[in-house]
Amino acid sequence: MKLRKKYIILLLLGSLICTISIAFTTVLEKTDEVSAVLLTKERVFEAGNTIVLDFKLSIPVRTQLFIHSSFGSNVIDSDKQNTAHFVVPEFMAKKKGLVSYTLLGESGSLYEGEIRIISNTKTKVHLESYIGPPSIIAGGEDYTMQIIVPTDSYDNPLPDSTAVLIRHQFLDIEKESILQSKDMIGWVNIFSYDQSGRILLFSKVGGTVSKEFSVEVYPSLPENFEIRSNRKHAYADGNQITEFITSIIKDEYGNIVSDGSLVKFIIKDAKGLLLHTQGSTVNGQAVGKILHPDHKDTWQIKAYVPGMAESNTLTIAYTQVLDDFEVKFDNDNREITIGPLVSFMEQLTSDGTIVKIDVFKDNQKIETKIKTSSQGLVRFLLQDGFYASGNYDIQIKALGVQKEFKNIKLR
Amino acid sequence: MMGWNRNIYRSLIIISFVGAIILILFGISQTLSYLTTGADRSSMLHLALHKEQVYLPKLKWKDTINPGRPIEKQTLQDIEQDYLNAWYIRNAAYQTNKQEGIEDYYTKSARKHIVTSLVSNKEKDIAIHSTTTTHNVALDFYSADGQLAVITDTGVKEYQRVYRDHELLLETELQSDYQVMLMLEDGFWRIRHMVKEKNYSSDPVMQTNNSIKVIGEKIFVEDKEYQIKGINYYPQKTPWDMFGDDYDINVIGADFDVIKNAGLNTIRIFIPYEVFGKAKVKTEKLEKLKEVLDKAEAKNLKVIVTLFDFYGDYSVLDWTLTHRHAEQIVSTFTHHKAILAWDIKNEPNLDFDSRGKENVLAWLKEMTRQIKQFDPNHLITIGWSDTASASLLQNEVDIISFHYYLDINTFPEAYTAMGAKIEKPMVLQEFGLSSSRGLWSPFGPSEKGQANYYKQFQEIIKQDNIHYLSWTLYDFDEVPSGVVGKLPWRKHKQKYFGFIDRDGNKKPAFEFISK
Repeated sequence: MKLRKKYIILLLLGSLICTISIAFTTVLEKTDEVSAVLLTKERVFEAGNTIVLDFKLSIPVRTQLFIHSSFGSNVIDSDKQNTAHFVVPEFMAKKKGLVSYTLLGESGSLYEGEIRIISNTKTKVHLESYIGPPSIIAGGEDYTMQIIVPTDSYDNPLPDSTAVLIRHQFLDIEKESILQSKDMIGWVNIFSYDQSGRILLFSKVGGTVSKEFSVEVYPSLPENFEIRSNRKHAYADGNQITEFITSIIKDEYGNIVSDGSLVKFIIKDAKGLLLHTQGSTVNGQAVGKILHPDHKDTWQIKAYVPGMAESNTLTIAYTQVLDDFEVKFDNDNREITIGPLVSFMEQLTSDGTIVKIDVFKDNQKIETKIKTSSQGLVRFLLQDGFYASGNYDIQIKALGVQKEFKNIKLR
Repeated sequence: MMGWNRNIYRSLIIISFVGAIILILFGISQTLSYLTTGADRSSMLHLALHKEQVYLPKLKWKDTINPGRPIEKQTLQDIEQDYLNAWYIRNAAYQTNKQEGIEDYYTKSARKHIVTSLVSNKEKDIAIHSTTTTHNVALDFYSADGQLAVITDTGVKEYQRVYRDHELLLETELQSDYQVMLMLEDGFWRIRHMVKEKNYSSDPVMQTNNSIKVIGEKIFVEDKEYQIKGINYYPQKTPWDMFGDDYDINVIGADFDVIKNAGLNTIRIFIPYEVFGKAKVKTEKLEKLKEVLDKAEAKNLKVIVTLFDFYGDYSVLDWTLTHRHAEQIVSTFTHHKAILAWDIKNEPNLDFDSRGKENVLAWLKEMTRQIKQFDPNHLITIGWSDTASASLLQNEVDIISFHYYLDINTFPEAYTAMGAKIEKPMVLQEFGLSSSRGLWSPFGPSEKGQANYYKQFQEIIKQDNIHYLSWTLYDFDEVPSGVVGKLPWRKHKQKYFGFIDRDGNKKPAFEFISK
């Protein structure tokens, strides 16, 4: 019985010790819970300055700081073992934006907070200018946009309402205005003036000036214009060239259109067929050239700057160079010689005058032969193999004159 | 003898000669094809980049009215795409601490900041797995020449998991605003400035229609207490391929009749992730699913739809793709009366070892939140494979689902132990016994044994009023290798869990399917 009592006492004692020790450890664990208080007072820092986040720990433990900022996240270690004194690395301290951080102890987060880094207005301002489109049209409707992105020397956009001075020069105009930046940029639309030319642009923020930018102002759309013709003579010799010349083409503000503007000349002949030539402007004038017709004709000419402007209609006539020509049949009529073809002063027509013959048999056209003259003469051969013996009709056309020979007998 | 040897030598020489020629030709052709790669000039302009979408967080344009100039739809899409790519590339870079692709989406002056940050992280062996899930973008400015844009992105939800020396240090979620300047360079909209403006957290509260709700440990449907008596369902001919080519709504409808007539009120079906088209859900699959749900509604059956079947990535960079998958399916059926609950994933705890527990849990947790946003009307659950895992994420889900294939005699104990940790309705989402006695398992349970098992289980169920869904209606002819692996005895077992055999005869267990 005594033995049993002893055991019971021992057991009781043992359990007592156990409970006490458990209680103790729980109490110890409670004090073991680490807490942290932020000592750093500032919440706003200027970019580029050293940022120190100092925490007071209730118990020294190993800590790390998780930082999340504009360009990504990092984890940094405390300066010294078992404290919580953090120097935010330079590459993060110099970037504008909100920085969230979490202080990490050995088992999870101890403190969370955020600081703000603002752009450093004390450093030299950097400017980036974007100007576009680089060419515009005169007349005050078209515009180019000048965008200025001012940053501090750490490449942070300056805050809203930063004053941006802009200036531009055009001919004898010089204008200046001050913008307030917003959404990282200062911007303005610069409208063209009535004259064509070149606008020079410039901007300035703080003490920093930009380089010179230029925007080309091209003349506006051309207005309607006049044309005239120029030719050496009025004969339809198929040899000389007629020029069509425009007046100086200008836009509505009197600016001469840009060199190289294309002018198309459309020519309608007496039969209503359309011919076409073109030229591009130099100093506002375009010249179109075309060969004289080789027969009597009347042309109506009109010029266009396609889609934009057109000219008056010009009418010019060409007179025939000859009334008749000789035709000689030889070698059983198989050799036909035409000519000499003589022009308006009885001179031989220039080489290359086109002569055309049509050969008919039983009122059926068999062949059309075309040759050009040489020294005023053209010779056609109707060869044995192709033309069997028999009667043929032959039509000859040259320089607008037509002659017909019926029942020519080939042998 | 000499002649033989000589012939052997000859043929050896000829064969080695031919072999050498083949090798030389192969080498030359490889060299040539290497030299011609990258020679396509059009690639310099980045006009026809083959871009597969790998990053699809939810992005909403709040407005595009800006003082600069009206924006074209095409440019808006380009900006959106490149801006999201910039986030993706940055997330990937911080995960691997490599700079791949950064130069495509950040201008020269901007990428400096990322690169220094990456170098610093690499030195300390820090890897940050991160993704963004929500963006609300407003256009602040678009320049006249179409080369510069400023946008404000509010409420950017960033999820980050920080590893140091390969150990998880911190898991964090931040919601911030950013102002971003982008510039068009070489055909890319590149980030020039990026400034984080604000931190806050506010989740939109979704309005539920309250037709299905959980109060305490009970489920209510239309204000009536609902006891799940259900079964996991695949058609007999197309197990694990319910929505494939052999899909037949008439067969499914007939099966629903069988289920309903057996006294059950709920089925559980499975949506395979890849078959449904991953991030771009195929409309024909959605139509089939709708047909099935409509049919279930007509037959008065409730459906638990298990999403992400056969999905197994879980990596943070893959999140947004799965979110879009869930969004397209779930939001289509927000108001569908047949659905009881969305089961996010079948037995995800089995992926803990291969994919990392924290990966899987973080994915599940975010997915519950996503699905609640797309559909506040239906319940959410996760089909844990055992009772031990069931208490995980219990605050995130509405009902707790678990599977039980162990010894029936230990079930009451396991159920009580689990219940002690949980204060939500618990659903025995899968249980069953295979009547697999045969060549591959000579001592396996017979059909009678299976019937006994169900009889016994039904008694336990009745006693504790347990929500249950048994596995499964049919014996199957074929079981795909993706389900239980290639081993024939495993496949064999999986074929005989049904209440109805391959020939359509009810097995003895059918008597105890619901009572």
